[in-house]
Amino acid sequence: MTELGIVDIREIIRAIKSFYNYDFGNYALTSFKQRLERLIIRNNLTNADSLIKKLRDEPDFFDLFLLEISVPSTEMFRDPSLWRWLREDFLPSVIEKSIGKFKIWLPVCVSGSELFSLMILLSELKLLDKVSIIASSQSNKSIEIMKEGQYDLKKIEVSTENYIRSNGSGNFTDYYKLDRYYAFRDTSLISNVEFNKLNINFDNAPANVKLILFRNSLIYCNPTMQDRILSVLSDSLSASGILITGIKERISGISSNKDFEIMNEAESVYKKRIIG
Amino acid sequence: MNYKAVIIGGSAGSFQVVTKILSSLPKSFPIPVMLCLHRLKHVRSGFVEALSLKSNIPIEEPYDKDQLKPGRAYLAPANYHMYIELANRIALSTEDVVNHSRPSIDLSFITAANAYREKLIGIILSGANKDGAYGLKKVHDCGGITIVQDPNECEVKTMTTSALQLTKADFVYTTDQIIRFLQKIN
Repeated sequence: MTELGIVDIREIIRAIKSFYNYDFGNYALTSFKQRLERLIIRNNLTNADSLIKKLRDEPDFFDLFLLEISVPSTEMFRDPSLWRWLREDFLPSVIEKSIGKFKIWLPVCVSGSELFSLMILLSELKLLDKVSIIASSQSNKSIEIMKEGQYDLKKIEVSTENYIRSNGSGNFTDYYKLDRYYAFRDTSLISNVEFNKLNINFDNAPANVKLILFRNSLIYCNPTMQDRILSVLSDSLSASGILITGIKERISGISSNKDFEIMNEAESVYKKRIIG
Repeated sequence: MNYKAVIIGGSAGSFQVVTKILSSLPKSFPIPVMLCLHRLKHVRSGFVEALSLKSNIPIEEPYDKDQLKPGRAYLAPANYHMYIELANRIALSTEDVVNHSRPSIDLSFITAANAYREKLIGIILSGANKDGAYGLKKVHDCGGITIVQDPNECEVKTMTTSALQLTKADFVYTTDQIIRFLQKIN
């Protein structure tokens, strides 16, 4: 097992900044270190120097780097009680009341698990034509994987259990097909999704968003980066827009949190304050 | 010896042992206790409450970036890995399962060993897989104290015997001996 020291990590960060003008200096250290170590093994590299050399010599590899450095959602319908709340208490009424299309943004998609979970839910609620969905990712490869519907076979079982616990009204088996190595999700669900490549600074964030699904991404940022991202998310949301974070992510310690008030504490749902 | 933290890993058969340890610690236990216990991924509530019934020190499931405080216990939340970062802070993660586990005892132990080096006490209890063995080795390699529950006393031995295969633990202790060891820390 390759173990990277703090000096190695700083070197890698410096190299990426000089080659690609991407600054990973504000990623949370321990998880970033683990992702780098995993990436070195997966790509048959040996140490920090060999990773830096590959990043320098192969620009295409950087896109794969962006995919592999990101942490995908653990499974579909993670935290079934949140999905139940969205299904039974929140989405139907708020979307019915919406003037114009109800815009939902997923700022960090990696494997598409959150996206497909959301689309299954909206489809079962027969609300697909009343929403517009924007799915962002840092990596082109990640967008390609989502568009193909490719999904890890090992995660089907737990995703199915979650779907049932979320009170899904259909059969989960209708939403994917099994292949030898992967499951392939029903891509007709995402045919109207707008995919957008978002850089590390969230520079091209959409506007007038009503709901942002952003779970378990803030944990990979240090407080400086959390603060910057939250202020971008806040700017993206329309008045009274909703932000959903991971249940163990606290936005109360972050200075831009003055923009938000708690709406559902158990499920980490926040509402943008109306200023004035 | 000036210890800075205790980390305890366990799985099947460890609940009663952890309960007994927590009920025997002094209220003013001078350092934080981290608990990484295997648990069902989808059951978020109930575990802290059950452990708290008899505990002498407060137990919480930390949020990401919470600061560890002396005299408190921190239980790795369901479906998150719990890391210890420098500066006494918790970092949570949703990375892949390790040894089929999230939280993984190996990951908690490795990161705690990196953060506290020789000032860490690592304890492996009863359990049904080998998670924690590599982590305990890391605690040892960083100069920390390693304790393994006596396999003869364990409800399920796999975790403790795996740990002992990989590391020559400083102490192989029964629950009562673990408690006496911890009570002497001041």
